[in-house]
Amino acid sequence: MTALVRFKLAAYARSHRLFQPLIGLFAMLAVFYSSAVPPGSELSSYADSAGLLVVVFAWAARGLLDTEPATQRLISMTAAGRPGREVCAGLLAALAVNLGMATIAIVLPLGIGFAAVPSPGDLAQGIALHLLGLIAGTALGTLTSRPILPSPAVSMLVLFGGYLALLLISLTPVGRFTVPIMPWMRAANDGALGEALPTLAAATLFWSVAGVAAYVRLRRTRP
Amino acid sequence: MRLSQVSFRYSRRGPWILRDVELMLRPGSVIEVTGRNGAGKSTLLRLLAGIIPPSRGTVTDRPRVVGYAPDVFPVDQPFTVTDYLTHMTRVRRASPTAADELAVRLNATHLMDQPVGDLSKGSAQKVGLIQSLLAPPGLLILDEPFAGLDEQTRIELPVIIGEIAAGGGTVVVSDHQNQLQNFPGADHWLVAAGAVTAQTGERPRQAVIEVLVDAAEADEVEQKLRADGYTTRRAS
Repeated sequence: MTALVRFKLAAYARSHRLFQPLIGLFAMLAVFYSSAVPPGSELSSYADSAGLLVVVFAWAARGLLDTEPATQRLISMTAAGRPGREVCAGLLAALAVNLGMATIAIVLPLGIGFAAVPSPGDLAQGIALHLLGLIAGTALGTLTSRPILPSPAVSMLVLFGGYLALLLISLTPVGRFTVPIMPWMRAANDGALGEALPTLAAATLFWSVAGVAAYVRLRRTRP
Repeated sequence: MRLSQVSFRYSRRGPWILRDVELMLRPGSVIEVTGRNGAGKSTLLRLLAGIIPPSRGTVTDRPRVVGYAPDVFPVDQPFTVTDYLTHMTRVRRASPTAADELAVRLNATHLMDQPVGDLSKGSAQKVGLIQSLLAPPGLLILDEPFAGLDEQTRIELPVIIGEIAAGGGTVVVSDHQNQLQNFPGADHWLVAAGAVTAQTGERPRQAVIEVLVDAAEADEVEQKLRADGYTTRRAS
Protein backbone atom coordinates (compact mmCIF):
# COMPACT_ATOMS: atom_id res chain seq x y z
CA MET A 1 0.00 0.00 0.00
CA THR A 2 2.78 2.46 0.92
CA ALA A 3 4.47 1.71 -2.40
CA LEU A 4 1.26 2.49 -4.28
CA VAL A 5 0.77 5.75 -2.33
CA ARG A 6 4.35 6.72 -3.27
CA PHE A 7 3.70 5.82 -6.92
CA LYS A 8 0.63 8.08 -6.98
CA LEU A 9 2.43 10.94 -5.24
CA ALA A 10 5.39 10.62 -7.63
CA ALA A 11 3.09 10.71 -10.66
CA TYR A 12 1.26 13.73 -9.26
CA ALA A 13 4.46 15.59 -8.41
CA ARG A 14 5.97 14.94 -11.85
CA SER A 15 2.84 16.03 -13.69
CA HIS A 16 2.06 19.73 -13.62
CA ARG A 17 -1.27 19.24 -11.88
CA LEU A 18 0.17 20.07 -8.46
CA PHE A 19 0.73 23.68 -9.55
CA GLN A 20 -2.97 24.41 -10.07
CA PRO A 21 -4.14 24.05 -6.45
CA LEU A 22 -0.76 25.35 -5.21
CA ILE A 23 -1.25 28.59 -7.15
CA GLY A 24 -4.82 28.74 -5.79
CA LEU A 25 -3.47 28.23 -2.26
CA PHE A 26 -0.85 30.99 -2.51
CA ALA A 27 -3.29 33.38 -4.19
CA MET A 28 -5.79 32.88 -1.38
CA LEU A 29 -3.13 33.21 1.33
CA ALA A 30 -1.87 36.40 -0.33
CA VAL A 31 -5.40 37.83 -0.14
CA PHE A 32 -5.97 36.68 3.47
CA TYR A 33 -2.73 38.13 4.76
CA SER A 34 -2.26 41.16 2.50
CA SER A 35 -2.55 43.34 5.60
CA ALA A 36 -1.18 42.22 8.95
CA VAL A 37 -3.67 40.46 11.24
CA PRO A 38 -3.90 42.41 14.54
CA PRO A 39 -3.08 40.52 17.77
CA GLY A 40 -6.08 38.55 19.04
CA SER A 41 -7.66 38.01 15.59
CA GLU A 42 -5.45 35.08 14.56
CA LEU A 43 -8.05 32.39 15.20
CA SER A 44 -10.65 34.26 13.17
CA SER A 45 -8.17 34.42 10.26
CA TYR A 46 -7.36 30.73 10.60
CA ALA A 47 -11.10 29.90 10.58
CA ASP A 48 -11.63 31.88 7.35
CA SER A 49 -8.54 30.29 5.80
CA ALA A 50 -9.66 26.75 6.72
CA GLY A 51 -13.19 27.36 5.41
CA LEU A 52 -12.21 29.00 2.14
CA LEU A 53 -9.39 26.56 1.38
CA VAL A 54 -11.88 23.63 1.33
CA VAL A 55 -12.28 24.25 -2.40
CA VAL A 56 -8.48 24.21 -2.92
CA PHE A 57 -8.19 20.95 -0.97
CA ALA A 58 -10.98 19.48 -3.12
CA TRP A 59 -9.22 20.63 -6.28
CA ALA A 60 -5.94 19.07 -5.17
CA ALA A 61 -7.61 15.75 -4.27
CA ARG A 62 -9.43 15.62 -7.60
CA GLY A 63 -6.22 16.45 -9.49
CA LEU A 64 -4.27 13.74 -7.70
CA LEU A 65 -6.91 11.07 -8.33
CA ASP A 66 -7.21 12.07 -12.00
CA THR A 67 -3.45 11.99 -12.64
CA GLU A 68 -3.42 8.23 -13.13
CA PRO A 69 -4.85 7.07 -16.48
CA ALA A 70 -7.94 4.84 -16.17
CA THR A 71 -6.13 1.74 -17.43
CA GLN A 72 -3.23 2.30 -15.02
CA ARG A 73 -5.74 2.17 -12.17
CA LEU A 74 -6.72 -1.34 -13.36
CA ILE A 75 -3.04 -2.34 -13.43
CA SER A 76 -2.50 -0.85 -9.96
CA MET A 77 -5.53 -2.76 -8.63
CA THR A 78 -4.14 -6.11 -9.76
CA ALA A 79 -0.59 -5.17 -8.68
CA ALA A 80 -1.82 -4.20 -5.20
CA GLY A 81 -3.73 -7.49 -4.91
CA ARG A 82 -7.21 -6.00 -4.37
CA PRO A 83 -9.13 -3.08 -5.92
CA GLY A 84 -9.84 -1.69 -2.45
CA ARG A 85 -6.13 -1.11 -1.88
CA GLU A 86 -5.89 1.07 -4.99
CA VAL A 87 -8.88 3.15 -3.85
CA CYS A 88 -7.43 3.44 -0.34
CA ALA A 89 -3.97 4.39 -1.66
CA GLY A 90 -5.59 7.17 -3.71
CA LEU A 91 -7.35 8.52 -0.62
CA LEU A 92 -4.17 8.41 1.47
CA ALA A 93 -2.15 10.15 -1.26
CA ALA A 94 -4.81 12.88 -1.56
CA LEU A 95 -4.80 13.35 2.21
CA ALA A 96 -0.99 13.55 2.21
CA VAL A 97 -0.99 16.29 -0.45
CA ASN A 98 -3.65 18.23 1.44
CA LEU A 99 -1.79 17.83 4.73
CA GLY A 100 1.16 19.51 3.03
CA MET A 101 -1.03 22.35 1.74
CA ALA A 102 -2.72 22.80 5.14
CA THR A 103 0.73 22.97 6.77
CA ILE A 104 1.65 25.83 4.43
CA ALA A 105 -1.63 27.58 5.28
CA ILE A 106 -0.89 27.28 9.01
CA VAL A 107 2.83 28.09 9.00
CA LEU A 108 2.95 30.88 6.41
CA PRO A 109 0.89 33.46 8.42
CA LEU A 110 3.10 32.81 11.48
CA GLY A 111 5.93 34.33 9.46
CA ILE A 112 4.30 37.00 7.32
CA GLY A 113 0.62 37.41 8.24
CA PHE A 114 0.19 37.69 11.99
CA ALA A 115 1.39 40.78 13.89
CA ALA A 116 1.87 38.58 16.99
CA VAL A 117 2.31 34.84 17.54
CA PRO A 118 -1.11 33.31 18.46
CA SER A 119 -1.61 31.58 21.80
CA PRO A 120 -1.04 27.81 21.82
CA GLY A 121 -4.80 27.30 22.26
CA ASP A 122 -5.63 29.41 19.20
CA LEU A 123 -2.91 27.68 17.20
CA ALA A 124 -4.31 24.25 18.16
CA GLN A 125 -7.84 25.28 17.18
CA GLY A 126 -6.53 26.73 13.91
CA ILE A 127 -4.81 23.42 13.15
CA ALA A 128 -8.02 21.52 14.06
CA LEU A 129 -10.08 23.68 11.67
CA HIS A 130 -7.60 23.15 8.83
CA LEU A 131 -7.75 19.40 9.45
CA LEU A 132 -11.56 19.57 9.21
CA GLY A 133 -11.26 21.67 6.04
CA LEU A 134 -8.85 19.29 4.36
CA ILE A 135 -10.96 16.25 5.25
CA ALA A 136 -14.13 17.87 3.86
CA GLY A 137 -12.23 19.10 0.78
CA THR A 138 -10.71 15.68 0.14
CA ALA A 139 -14.17 14.09 0.34
CA LEU A 140 -15.58 16.60 -2.16
CA GLY A 141 -12.56 16.04 -4.42
CA THR A 142 -13.02 12.25 -4.47
CA LEU A 143 -16.67 12.61 -5.46
CA THR A 144 -15.72 14.81 -8.42
CA SER A 145 -12.84 12.60 -9.64
CA ARG A 146 -12.97 11.02 -13.08
CA PRO A 147 -14.25 7.51 -12.23
CA ILE A 148 -17.31 9.14 -10.63
CA LEU A 149 -17.80 12.12 -13.00
CA PRO A 150 -16.08 11.34 -16.32
CA SER A 151 -16.83 14.72 -17.95
CA PRO A 152 -14.25 17.37 -16.88
CA ALA A 153 -16.81 20.16 -17.39
CA VAL A 154 -19.43 18.52 -15.18
CA SER A 155 -16.79 17.61 -12.63
CA MET A 156 -15.48 21.20 -12.29
CA LEU A 157 -19.05 22.49 -12.08
CA VAL A 158 -19.91 20.02 -9.30
CA LEU A 159 -16.65 20.80 -7.47
CA PHE A 160 -17.05 24.60 -7.43
CA GLY A 161 -20.87 24.51 -7.38
CA GLY A 162 -20.83 21.92 -4.61
CA TYR A 163 -18.48 24.06 -2.54
CA LEU A 164 -20.63 27.18 -3.04
CA ALA A 165 -23.74 25.18 -2.14
CA LEU A 166 -22.00 23.99 1.05
CA LEU A 167 -21.14 27.59 1.94
CA LEU A 168 -24.65 28.88 1.25
CA ILE A 169 -26.45 26.04 3.03
CA SER A 170 -24.19 26.48 6.04
CA LEU A 171 -25.48 30.08 6.26
CA THR A 172 -29.06 28.85 6.81
CA PRO A 173 -30.45 27.52 10.12
CA VAL A 174 -29.83 23.92 8.97
CA GLY A 175 -26.17 24.86 8.47
CA ARG A 176 -25.06 23.16 11.67
CA PHE A 177 -26.25 19.83 10.29
CA THR A 178 -24.34 20.09 7.00
CA VAL A 179 -20.61 20.80 6.69
CA PRO A 180 -20.71 23.86 9.00
CA ILE A 181 -18.15 26.08 7.27
CA MET A 182 -19.91 29.41 7.94
CA PRO A 183 -20.78 28.46 11.55
CA TRP A 184 -17.11 27.74 12.32
CA MET A 185 -16.05 31.08 10.82
CA ARG A 186 -18.70 32.88 12.89
CA ALA A 187 -17.89 30.98 16.08
CA ALA A 188 -14.20 31.90 15.69
CA ASN A 189 -15.13 35.52 15.06
CA ASP A 190 -17.36 35.60 18.17
CA GLY A 191 -14.70 33.94 20.30
CA ALA A 192 -17.03 30.97 20.89
CA LEU A 193 -15.16 28.32 18.90
CA GLY A 194 -13.92 26.45 21.98
CA GLU A 195 -17.32 25.13 23.07
CA ALA A 196 -18.72 24.83 19.50
CA LEU A 197 -15.78 22.88 18.07
CA PRO A 198 -16.88 19.33 19.09
CA THR A 199 -20.30 19.76 17.41
CA LEU A 200 -18.78 21.42 14.33
CA ALA A 201 -16.14 18.69 14.07
CA ALA A 202 -18.72 15.90 14.46
CA ALA A 203 -20.94 17.32 11.68
CA THR A 204 -17.95 17.87 9.35
CA LEU A 205 -16.56 14.41 9.97
CA PHE A 206 -19.99 12.80 9.52
CA TRP A 207 -20.51 14.33 6.08
CA SER A 208 -16.92 13.76 5.00
CA VAL A 209 -17.03 10.09 5.98
CA ALA A 210 -20.41 9.75 4.22
CA GLY A 211 -18.92 11.33 1.07
CA VAL A 212 -15.86 9.09 1.10
CA ALA A 213 -18.02 6.01 1.79
CA ALA A 214 -20.18 6.89 -1.24
CA TYR A 215 -17.00 7.29 -3.31
CA VAL A 216 -15.63 3.91 -2.19
CA ARG A 217 -18.99 2.25 -2.90
CA LEU A 218 -19.26 3.78 -6.38
CA ARG A 219 -15.70 2.77 -7.23
CA ARG A 220 -16.66 -0.91 -6.90
CA THR A 221 -18.29 -0.85 -10.33
CA ARG A 222 -16.26 2.11 -11.63
CA PRO A 223 -12.67 0.92 -11.56
CA MET B 1 -10.73 -21.00 -9.69
CA ARG B 2 -14.45 -21.04 -10.39
CA LEU B 3 -17.16 -18.66 -11.60
CA SER B 4 -20.67 -19.68 -10.48
CA GLN B 5 -23.80 -18.07 -11.91
CA VAL B 6 -21.84 -14.90 -12.61
CA SER B 7 -23.79 -12.02 -14.16
CA PHE B 8 -22.51 -8.50 -14.67
CA ARG B 9 -23.85 -5.10 -15.60
CA TYR B 10 -22.22 -1.72 -15.04
CA SER B 11 -25.26 -0.02 -13.49
CA ARG B 12 -28.48 -1.14 -11.88
CA ARG B 13 -30.54 -0.27 -14.94
CA GLY B 14 -27.89 -1.00 -17.54
CA PRO B 15 -27.97 -3.97 -19.90
CA TRP B 16 -26.48 -7.27 -18.80
CA ILE B 17 -23.01 -7.67 -20.29
CA LEU B 18 -22.66 -11.26 -19.06
CA ARG B 19 -25.40 -13.58 -17.78
CA ASP B 20 -25.19 -16.73 -15.65
CA VAL B 21 -21.64 -17.55 -16.62
CA GLU B 22 -20.35 -20.87 -15.25
CA LEU B 23 -16.64 -21.40 -15.73
CA MET B 24 -13.92 -23.53 -14.24
CA LEU B 25 -10.28 -22.55 -14.53
CA ARG B 26 -7.90 -25.39 -13.79
CA PRO B 27 -4.38 -24.64 -12.52
CA GLY B 28 -1.91 -25.04 -15.38
CA SER B 29 -4.45 -24.33 -18.11
CA VAL B 30 -4.14 -21.86 -20.94
CA ILE B 31 -7.39 -20.31 -22.16
CA GLU B 32 -7.89 -18.36 -25.33
CA VAL B 33 -10.91 -16.03 -25.26
CA THR B 34 -12.44 -14.97 -28.56
CA GLY B 35 -15.55 -13.05 -29.53
CA ARG B 36 -16.50 -10.12 -31.71
CA ASN B 37 -15.83 -6.52 -30.66
CA GLY B 38 -18.04 -5.42 -27.78
CA ALA B 39 -19.08 -8.98 -26.90
CA GLY B 40 -17.84 -8.55 -23.32
CA LYS B 41 -14.35 -10.06 -23.52
CA SER B 42 -12.67 -7.22 -21.62
CA THR B 43 -15.43 -7.23 -19.00
CA LEU B 44 -14.96 -10.97 -18.53
CA LEU B 45 -11.19 -10.48 -18.14
CA ARG B 46 -11.75 -7.73 -15.53
CA LEU B 47 -14.12 -9.99 -13.59
CA LEU B 48 -11.52 -12.75 -13.67
CA ALA B 49 -8.79 -10.35 -12.55
CA GLY B 50 -10.95 -9.20 -9.63
CA ILE B 51 -10.98 -5.58 -10.83
CA ILE B 52 -14.79 -5.52 -10.79
CA PRO B 53 -17.06 -7.70 -8.63
CA PRO B 54 -19.87 -9.70 -10.28
CA SER B 55 -23.33 -8.09 -10.00
CA ARG B 56 -24.66 -11.56 -9.19
CA GLY B 57 -22.96 -14.88 -8.56
CA THR B 58 -19.57 -15.66 -7.09
CA VAL B 59 -15.94 -16.00 -8.08
CA THR B 60 -14.07 -18.39 -5.80
CA ASP B 61 -10.47 -19.54 -5.34
CA ARG B 62 -8.85 -16.75 -7.34
CA PRO B 63 -5.05 -17.15 -7.07
CA ARG B 64 -3.39 -14.57 -4.82
CA VAL B 65 -1.03 -13.11 -7.43
CA VAL B 66 -2.81 -11.82 -10.54
CA GLY B 67 -0.94 -10.37 -13.50
CA TYR B 68 -2.96 -8.17 -15.85
CA ALA B 69 -1.79 -6.65 -19.12
CA PRO B 70 -4.38 -4.31 -20.69
CA ASP B 71 -5.08 -4.21 -24.42
CA VAL B 72 -3.65 -0.69 -24.66
CA PHE B 73 -0.91 0.21 -22.18
CA PRO B 74 -1.50 3.72 -20.71
CA VAL B 75 1.48 5.77 -21.94
CA ASP B 76 0.22 9.06 -20.49
CA GLN B 77 2.44 8.77 -17.40
CA PRO B 78 5.37 10.98 -16.33
CA PHE B 79 7.93 8.21 -15.83
CA THR B 80 10.75 6.54 -17.70
CA VAL B 81 10.21 2.82 -18.29
CA THR B 82 12.74 1.99 -15.55
CA ASP B 83 11.10 4.33 -13.02
CA TYR B 84 7.66 2.96 -13.85
CA LEU B 85 8.74 -0.66 -13.53
CA THR B 86 10.64 0.10 -10.29
CA HIS B 87 7.43 1.52 -8.80
CA MET B 88 5.40 -1.50 -9.97
CA THR B 89 8.08 -3.88 -8.61
CA ARG B 90 7.74 -2.23 -5.18
CA VAL B 91 3.93 -2.32 -5.31
CA ARG B 92 4.12 -6.04 -6.07
CA ARG B 93 7.02 -6.65 -3.67
CA ALA B 94 8.68 -8.54 -6.52
CA SER B 95 12.37 -9.28 -6.96
CA PRO B 96 14.30 -6.09 -7.89
CA THR B 97 15.96 -7.89 -10.81
CA ALA B 98 12.68 -9.24 -12.28
CA ALA B 99 12.06 -6.25 -14.56
CA ASP B 100 15.53 -6.38 -16.14
CA GLU B 101 15.33 -10.14 -16.68
CA LEU B 102 11.94 -9.82 -18.37
CA ALA B 103 13.17 -6.89 -20.47
CA VAL B 104 15.92 -9.13 -21.87
CA ARG B 105 13.44 -11.88 -22.73
CA LEU B 106 10.94 -9.51 -24.34
CA ASN B 107 13.61 -7.62 -26.31
CA ALA B 108 12.95 -4.39 -24.41
CA THR B 109 16.32 -3.47 -22.84
CA HIS B 110 16.75 -0.54 -25.24
CA LEU B 111 13.47 0.95 -23.99
CA MET B 112 14.40 1.16 -20.32
CA ASP B 113 15.66 4.78 -20.31
CA GLN B 114 12.89 6.12 -22.53
CA PRO B 115 9.95 8.12 -21.17
CA VAL B 116 6.81 5.96 -21.17
CA GLY B 117 5.09 8.72 -23.16
CA ASP B 118 7.50 8.32 -26.10
CA LEU B 119 6.89 4.58 -26.61
CA SER B 120 5.39 3.18 -29.78
CA LYS B 121 2.33 0.91 -29.49
CA GLY B 122 4.36 -2.30 -29.62
CA SER B 123 6.98 -1.02 -27.15
CA ALA B 124 4.28 0.14 -24.74
CA GLN B 125 2.69 -3.31 -25.07
CA LYS B 126 5.98 -4.84 -23.90
CA VAL B 127 6.05 -2.64 -20.78
CA GLY B 128 2.48 -3.75 -20.06
CA LEU B 129 3.54 -7.39 -20.39
CA ILE B 130 6.64 -6.93 -18.21
CA GLN B 131 4.67 -5.36 -15.34
CA SER B 132 2.14 -8.23 -15.47
CA LEU B 133 4.94 -10.78 -15.08
CA LEU B 134 7.01 -9.05 -12.33
CA ALA B 135 5.77 -11.45 -9.64
CA PRO B 136 5.19 -15.00 -10.94
CA PRO B 137 1.39 -14.89 -11.44
CA GLY B 138 -1.01 -17.60 -10.28
CA LEU B 139 -3.44 -16.07 -12.76
CA LEU B 140 -2.16 -14.18 -15.78
CA ILE B 141 -4.65 -12.17 -17.82
CA LEU B 142 -3.52 -10.80 -21.17
CA ASP B 143 -5.91 -8.61 -23.16
CA GLU B 144 -4.89 -8.72 -26.85
CA PRO B 145 -1.19 -9.13 -25.99
CA PHE B 146 0.04 -9.76 -29.54
CA ALA B 147 -1.13 -6.48 -31.04
CA GLY B 148 1.85 -4.51 -32.35
CA LEU B 149 4.52 -6.89 -31.02
CA ASP B 150 7.68 -7.55 -33.03
CA GLU B 151 8.45 -11.00 -34.40
CA GLN B 152 10.90 -12.03 -31.64
CA THR B 153 8.47 -11.15 -28.85
CA ARG B 154 5.60 -12.83 -30.72
CA ILE B 155 7.60 -16.05 -30.56
CA GLU B 156 8.80 -15.54 -26.98
CA LEU B 157 5.41 -14.74 -25.45
CA PRO B 158 3.86 -18.21 -26.03
CA VAL B 159 7.01 -19.69 -24.44
CA ILE B 160 6.49 -17.52 -21.33
CA ILE B 161 2.79 -18.46 -21.27
CA GLY B 162 3.78 -22.13 -21.46
CA GLU B 163 6.23 -21.70 -18.54
CA ILE B 164 3.61 -20.10 -16.31
CA ALA B 165 1.12 -22.88 -17.12
CA ALA B 166 3.79 -25.51 -16.47
CA GLY B 167 4.37 -23.93 -13.05
CA GLY B 168 0.68 -24.39 -12.17
CA GLY B 169 -0.48 -20.90 -13.16
CA THR B 170 -3.62 -20.21 -15.17
CA VAL B 171 -3.29 -18.02 -18.26
CA VAL B 172 -6.25 -16.31 -19.92
CA VAL B 173 -5.56 -14.59 -23.23
CA SER B 174 -8.01 -12.60 -25.26
CA ASP B 175 -6.74 -12.88 -28.77
CA HIS B 176 -8.17 -11.51 -31.98
CA GLN B 177 -5.30 -12.68 -34.09
CA ASN B 178 -5.47 -16.35 -33.05
CA GLN B 179 -1.77 -16.37 -32.21
CA LEU B 180 -2.42 -19.17 -29.75
CA GLN B 181 -4.39 -21.24 -32.28
CA ASN B 182 -1.79 -23.96 -32.29
CA PHE B 183 -0.87 -23.69 -28.62
CA PRO B 184 -0.86 -27.26 -27.34
CA GLY B 185 -3.73 -28.07 -24.99
CA ALA B 186 -5.23 -24.58 -24.90
CA ASP B 187 -8.90 -24.29 -23.94
CA HIS B 188 -11.09 -21.96 -25.96
CA TRP B 189 -13.86 -19.71 -24.74
CA LEU B 190 -16.22 -17.93 -27.06
CA VAL B 191 -17.93 -14.83 -25.66
CA ALA B 192 -21.19 -14.00 -27.45
CA ALA B 193 -24.61 -12.60 -26.48
CA GLY B 194 -23.73 -12.42 -22.77
CA ALA B 195 -22.74 -16.08 -22.61
CA VAL B 196 -19.36 -17.79 -22.51
CA THR B 197 -19.10 -21.11 -24.31
CA ALA B 198 -16.15 -23.23 -23.26
CA GLN B 199 -14.59 -25.79 -25.54
CA THR B 200 -12.31 -27.76 -23.28
CA GLY B 201 -9.61 -30.18 -24.29
CA GLU B 202 -10.94 -30.69 -27.82
CA ARG B 203 -7.64 -29.80 -29.34
CA PRO B 204 -5.10 -32.62 -28.92
CA ARG B 205 -1.50 -31.82 -28.12
CA GLN B 206 0.51 -31.22 -31.26
CA ALA B 207 4.19 -31.55 -32.04
CA VAL B 208 6.37 -30.42 -34.95
CA ILE B 209 8.76 -32.91 -36.57
CA GLU B 210 11.17 -32.07 -39.34
CA VAL B 211 11.53 -34.60 -42.15
CA LEU B 212 14.51 -34.22 -44.50
CA VAL B 213 13.93 -35.60 -48.03
CA ASP B 214 15.55 -35.25 -51.47
CA ALA B 215 14.19 -32.21 -53.24
CA ALA B 216 13.05 -34.43 -56.10
CA GLU B 217 10.91 -36.55 -53.76
CA ALA B 218 9.47 -33.62 -51.82
CA ASP B 219 6.19 -33.44 -53.74
CA GLU B 220 5.59 -37.16 -53.44
CA VAL B 221 6.30 -37.30 -49.68
CA GLU B 222 4.17 -34.25 -49.03
CA GLN B 223 1.24 -35.77 -50.91
CA LYS B 224 1.57 -39.02 -48.94
CA LEU B 225 1.63 -37.16 -45.59
CA ARG B 226 -1.36 -35.03 -46.56
CA ALA B 227 -3.24 -38.11 -47.68
CA ASP B 228 -2.67 -39.48 -44.16
CA GLY B 229 -4.23 -36.30 -42.70
CA TYR B 230 -1.09 -34.47 -41.54
CA THR B 231 -0.47 -30.76 -41.96
CA THR B 232 2.75 -30.12 -43.86
CA ARG B 233 4.82 -27.00 -44.39
CA ARG B 234 7.77 -26.54 -46.76
CA ALA B 235 10.80 -25.03 -44.98
CA SER B 236 12.65 -24.04 -48.15
